[in-house]
Amino acid sequence: MAISSGLGSSALLPAGLGFRNVLINGGFDIWQRGTSAAFTTSASTSFLADRWSGYRGAAGSTQSRVSAGLDGFQYAMRVQRDSGNTSVFRQYIGTSLETSTATKLANKPVVLSFYARAGANYSSASNGLNVLLSSGTGTEANGVHVNFTSATSVVSTVATLTTSYQRFTYFATMPATSSQLLVQFDFAGVGTAGADDYFEITGVQLEQNYQPTPFEQRPYGVELALCQRYFQRLLNGADHGNEMVVTVQATGSTGGYGFKALLMTMRTAPTLTSSQSTDAFLCKSAGGNNLFMNAMTFDLSTPRSFLLVIGVASGLAAGDASIVLANSVTAKIDASAEL
Amino acid sequence: MYQIAKTPFSEMIVRISDMAWIPMVEANSDYQAYLAWVAEGNTAEEWTGA
Repeated sequence: MAISSGLGSSALLPAGLGFRNVLINGGFDIWQRGTSAAFTTSASTSFLADRWSGYRGAAGSTQSRVSAGLDGFQYAMRVQRDSGNTSVFRQYIGTSLETSTATKLANKPVVLSFYARAGANYSSASNGLNVLLSSGTGTEANGVHVNFTSATSVVSTVATLTTSYQRFTYFATMPATSSQLLVQFDFAGVGTAGADDYFEITGVQLEQNYQPTPFEQRPYGVELALCQRYFQRLLNGADHGNEMVVTVQATGSTGGYGFKALLMTMRTAPTLTSSQSTDAFLCKSAGGNNLFMNAMTFDLSTPRSFLLVIGVASGLAAGDASIVLANSVTAKIDASAEL
Repeated sequence: MYQIAKTPFSEMIVRISDMAWIPMVEANSDYQAYLAWVAEGNTAEEWTGA
């Protein structure tokens, strides 16, 4: 297949070839954090679907994974104003790109495309869904929560939804200088929300091109790996009881350290969280005793690894190797390097 | 609210609301949020333990 010379030299491949879509998880296949959550005002808790950040300045709305009900797609993102909610605060979802991607699109023709439909009680004025492709010149950032530097609205328009899926496409040329990039959708509800005051969206694609191409369905494992540059759920007791976290070396009777390699190199040294509680994790000592952990902290976070620091009441011996296991469906350890 | 924890080999920021351990790395967005919090005049105390 010939490559269009009109697109010029680029690391981003044109129509017909792979990795056209510079957005990650545009088909909403990857949900490492869970599949339903309320919108928040906090950037740190705003992610649910991988790479998609939400925001609402008031309570009473939910983002969730739903069956797409559209040929070629398994899932969609539903953005819903909860039934009975009367707030008119906007609900935003967006995905922000790294400078390494934004700069490759600078001064290039792009096409933004997506599929969307409205719920039966969608209350946005004129069934509108605000669509924004924004570019900035500052340090890469989460554009849903942070104002871009010298922001330019490359695409800023309103899509008119119906209760059936439509594919929307928008054409633009990126600014000559672009180091921040955001694709965002939002709506403001009106009146009191009914049971189906929502929109659903899937197949979001941003490609360097003169015309839209079919949504690029990448293999699940490839899409998951792309997402894990930004977020990794390293252990999930709900999925795998007794999943092993790491082998630790005891530094005394009450604690030890264990090195944990990340699943892939992350965007930056990640923030680390665990669901440590009384019985969430278990330390199996060298002698075979099951010791409930009373502390789990972290150290030496790098894009490739970190150190897990554990504590128990007693029962370890300095120098011995022990195993840390999930002991509850609530057990989880997360590494986040999101924008 | 944040605290600073002296860890075995370095220091990390602890976000108390969810006990997130944040590395002091410029590109980490949670560290950027911490720096913004400090810029507002706040001061992180020493971590007192979970």
